[in-house]
Amino acid sequence: MGFKKDMIELTLLAVPAMIWFILFDYLPMFGVAFAFKQFTPRPGQPLFKNLFVNSPWVGLNNFNFLLRSSDMPKIMFNTLFYNIIFLVAGIVIPVFLAICLTEVHGKAFSGFVQMIMLLPYFLSWVIVGYCLYGFLATDEGQINHILRFFGKSAVQWYRSPGYWRAILIATGIWKGTGYSMIIYMCSITAIDRSLYESATLDGAGFSDRVKYITLPQLKTTVTTLFILNIGSILNSDFGLFYQVPMDSNSLQPVTQTLDVYVYKALMQQANFSYSAAASFLQSAVGCILLVISNIVVNRLNRDEG
Amino acid sequence: MTGKFRIVTILLLLMLLPVLNGCEAGFREVNSKGEEVVKIRIVTYDNGNVPLDGREVIAAANEISKEKIGVLADLEFQSAEKINLMMASGEYYDMVFTSSWINKFDKNASMGLYYDITDVVKEETPALYASIGEYWECAKIRDRIYGVPVLKDMGSENLFRLNADYFEGEKGMEIPEEMTFEDIEPYLKAYKEDHPNEYPLAMDKGGMAGYLNFLERVVGGIVVIPYDQDSDKPSAVPFWECDKLVDRYRLLHKWYKAGYIHPDAATIDSTNDNKSIPVRAGVAWRGYQGYSNPDDWGFHVKTSVYDGPYLSRTSEQGAIFSICAACDEEHVKACLKYLELLSTDRRFRDILGYGIEGKHFEYLPNGTILRLKAGQDGYNTKLFQTGSVVNASVESASRTFLADPDQWEKVFEGYEKDGIYSKTKGFAYDPTPEEDIITAVSAIYDDYATELRTGTSDPDKVIPEIKKRMKAAGIDELLEDINDQLDEWVK
Repeated sequence: MGFKKDMIELTLLAVPAMIWFILFDYLPMFGVAFAFKQFTPRPGQPLFKNLFVNSPWVGLNNFNFLLRSSDMPKIMFNTLFYNIIFLVAGIVIPVFLAICLTEVHGKAFSGFVQMIMLLPYFLSWVIVGYCLYGFLATDEGQINHILRFFGKSAVQWYRSPGYWRAILIATGIWKGTGYSMIIYMCSITAIDRSLYESATLDGAGFSDRVKYITLPQLKTTVTTLFILNIGSILNSDFGLFYQVPMDSNSLQPVTQTLDVYVYKALMQQANFSYSAAASFLQSAVGCILLVISNIVVNRLNRDEG
Repeated sequence: MTGKFRIVTILLLLMLLPVLNGCEAGFREVNSKGEEVVKIRIVTYDNGNVPLDGREVIAAANEISKEKIGVLADLEFQSAEKINLMMASGEYYDMVFTSSWINKFDKNASMGLYYDITDVVKEETPALYASIGEYWECAKIRDRIYGVPVLKDMGSENLFRLNADYFEGEKGMEIPEEMTFEDIEPYLKAYKEDHPNEYPLAMDKGGMAGYLNFLERVVGGIVVIPYDQDSDKPSAVPFWECDKLVDRYRLLHKWYKAGYIHPDAATIDSTNDNKSIPVRAGVAWRGYQGYSNPDDWGFHVKTSVYDGPYLSRTSEQGAIFSICAACDEEHVKACLKYLELLSTDRRFRDILGYGIEGKHFEYLPNGTILRLKAGQDGYNTKLFQTGSVVNASVESASRTFLADPDQWEKVFEGYEKDGIYSKTKGFAYDPTPEEDIITAVSAIYDDYATELRTGTSDPDKVIPEIKKRMKAAGIDELLEDINDQLDEWVK
């Protein structure tokens, strides 16, 4: 293939993004060394010298603190449990809603619904946490007011871990759905309308159109988002699992994910090497899963991935 | 095409600009005495908020320090996270705030981050050396001095702050100067009976102020050395083996169940906005007035000491200023001279402590000071953030509610008379060999600590669980290491 003029232009277009990636993603990669060093800085010396000359290599020792905790299986379970649910729910629910909304003919109404659904996405978790607290507080919370009104006794929500898996999942979906729904709605609008018209002429009902046209056409978008999300399978939304339950001790069995654990363990210590080890583990597992899922998707379907 | 190239070139150049801009010519100022002026960068803890008028105040202080000792200071207020980051990344500074609670002194000094000032402080600043006296001990590691302790309330006294209008006025109960922790119960009970829907004991997720002060803490609240150990040979124990602490947790849980503590205390950030709460805890010293201004609370406050004064390495390390190990001798001397001026010149000390006279504060006839509105809004720092507390003028709560200008002499006399001293004062644990265990047990502790200290959970149920998990994480190994180091130190 010859080096054509329009290719130079395209490359130039990509230059800002490339510079960005080199500066902020590839250059800082040297920081991976933190995970395998016992970082012992000497004051007044440059970071590179402190990291590469002054700090000794310690192999995998920095990962020990993760293994020290007998809760690791539980923490891993929580992390994977929530992430898999969000992975599935993050596809099924927005796709369902997007299909429903495209069938709504009133433009104004459809826009209004989109806006309402998108709003939570822009709220920070701290604010969501306090709003939820307004509902769930033991003394002044709305839900307990209602319970008392019906003669039931008040529930100490922040001390009852049983409810929180559901609460966290619901809150997480509530906040994220609007955003992914927009992505799917865009893909649906991009589908050729004539496909639907000819299907209708041939006597296909709503469910047939969804089944044979919309869903197959959405497959590419779904796969792309799925692959992207699987890369962060060990990462969890810190705000959701730390801020929303107000760091309540009693809820810890259901809210402790890897990120929350690392934060709690290292908040006091300020040990760079340990935190680097933890995030290295997250990224490494994510990267491996990403590559695997990409290969699997490629095998299943030669056109995508 | 060429147009695009041009834009890209310009963009690239713009990105390089900050890199090229890094050179700055150095020149030396001279003061009226002809001394060369040394500039030092002091980084102190911001205690939650950076004072708005900080620059103005430090400029006023610099005018004096430049003439008197030939030092110009650049004083920065930084958060604990920022200071930690600064220490870990090897960033240059001249002097930094360090302590037993923010930017840990023992850890950093053992790592060699601070300058060994043992000899230079005696030679260069004898007045400063003499003023600290016996308290140098808390800034020593292996008999070398690595920082200058701030003379302040060196022991911790825990007290209850009670609504005197209600308890003494309405209920006719007497509030004694001293009481025990348990003695507060009848007060809580009386208030609860009158106000069944309110919670009389202020409690937020941080627990009662200073609730661990009666222990020498080796690893947070996890491994402690009780003051009142019977045996001659002190030993570090896990917190569940300290009966006094566990009993307090039990009592708090009893109060929680009785409705004296807010049911959501473990998730509440602060109770400061609720002025109706009649009983609060505080950490202060005899004569401290900061809790007592009726204008702040809407009622008269009486304090009653229930604990202390406890003196330990932890309590004495409340605030220390340490010099960066990478400093050259000139800057080390400048830093020490600056601290000496703060410890000997009261007018100069008051500037960094309270701001500019007439704008931020004014002197009252009895020798105390009063913060003005501009001072409360623009420069409301705590004295310990900026140097010697003892040498600063004492702050009065209002024009009519005057403080004792000589309170510090009485406070220090009190330490000598009533002070409860830790047997292991001076022992510094070097945590480096067991850091992974400390990290693991800290995370476990964090799963329970908030609910224990707020009384929310039942210690008899929770502690066995903590014990089991901490044993699995290797706390026995940690204890062994601590006690080995302790034995070594006792010798």
